[in-house]
Amino acid sequence: MSELSIYVLLVAGISVVLAWLLFPRRKSSGTPAPSYRPDGNEALPSPKHYRYFSQIRRALSVEDSAYLVQNASPQVAKQALRERRAVARGYLKGLREDFSDLAKLGRIIAALSPEISREQETQRLMLTLKFQLLYALVAVRLSAGSLPVGQLENLTGIVGRIATRLDEAIVEIDALTSGQNPGRISA
Amino acid sequence: MNLLENALSWANLSFVVVLCVFVFTRRVQRILPLFTVYACALLTAMIGVWLIYDHFGFYSPISYYAYWGSVLMDATARSLAIAELCHYGLRVYRGIWGLIWRVLASLSILLLARAAVDAWGQPNQFAIYGMTIDRDLDLASIVILAVLLIFRNYYGISFNPLQRAIAVGICIICIVDVIGNTVLRNIFTGYLFSWFLVSQKALWPTMAGQVRRVNDIWATIHLCFVMFSMGIWCVALRKPLPEPAAAPELLPVEIYRDLSPAINMRLATFNDRMLELLEP
Repeated sequence: MSELSIYVLLVAGISVVLAWLLFPRRKSSGTPAPSYRPDGNEALPSPKHYRYFSQIRRALSVEDSAYLVQNASPQVAKQALRERRAVARGYLKGLREDFSDLAKLGRIIAALSPEISREQETQRLMLTLKFQLLYALVAVRLSAGSLPVGQLENLTGIVGRIATRLDEAIVEIDALTSGQNPGRISA
Repeated sequence: MNLLENALSWANLSFVVVLCVFVFTRRVQRILPLFTVYACALLTAMIGVWLIYDHFGFYSPISYYAYWGSVLMDATARSLAIAELCHYGLRVYRGIWGLIWRVLASLSILLLARAAVDAWGQPNQFAIYGMTIDRDLDLASIVILAVLLIFRNYYGISFNPLQRAIAVGICIICIVDVIGNTVLRNIFTGYLFSWFLVSQKALWPTMAGQVRRVNDIWATIHLCFVMFSMGIWCVALRKPLPEPAAAPELLPVEIYRDLSPAINMRLATFNDRMLELLEP
């Protein structure tokens, strides 16, 4: 590969990254990207999807599956199972959002802290990258039908415990930051 | 200079003057003094090179060195403006700034060392040396900007519109310059290399046309994109600048010390459960 090709490819790659970072895509609702307002106008990110696990579990229960297989026509049962997988995928996506919210809360605390630990920040970054990879693998397995839906419950329990602890922390941070000037994290 | 180059040069001078007027009218020097220096450096270099062209002729050796000197001066001023862009708006977040400046400084040293090594190995010709170091400085600039933006994005600290416009303009100039300088350098170190060798002086008259054509094409492309970037900056400066945002009140350090390890521990546990899901 010639020097010119290497430079063109390198610059093209960096340009894509720069464009993505300089012009972030807005969410479909048109609302601005969430950011923390210390005056409490905007809520701190906190896990929420895990709370719906009992309803999801009911909808995805093994008994329901067995009942469908026994009583419905094969075509209807197949269709229903496919839709249940789609629901599970959607729920997994929600759990990812919960994870992202927790990680984001960690980053907000770091940004507003006068001192941070390099090790802690590196660790959180690595954990986030690892999660993205694992999430992709789990999503693929779920789509392929080789992951029992019931196993999602383990994940939900973990998120729920984090959320309880962090709900307390958010209250603590809000109490500490109340009364300070409004100002989202921006330069 | 041909008619097109003349027109482009006048247009470029107009853009630089308008930019400087906007910069001083909006008092950008109060918040971004090094960007102001960069705008002034663009104007100074342009007027200086023009005066030299006018006095010594377009194809004189002094004009040649003056042009490459102005290119390196612009690159240096641009690097300072980028350093300011890194510093401005992040310094108030003392904790993460302490981390970010170390990473950016290490990266800058690495990239500058690479630029020096790359330029050192070039044929001993001022233009090729200048092109190589300019290209490597441009490449370093876009890498530094990309890393800065990754950090800002990661910690949710957005650019304000003026900073974004400055970053976009600088990125456009640097990207075009990296590609243009690489192409030009390949041509000059390739089939036009005889142009730089005194031993091949007999070939110079036949090569002069080609060399000028290559230089003209590159100068036209470069000037068009520089004007485009200056247009972006002028648009960003058309309205008065908003008052700088109040510095955020930082949290007590205990909150980070208590919560950060707890959050990381939970995130790690979450990943462990994900791994369990994947076990056969």
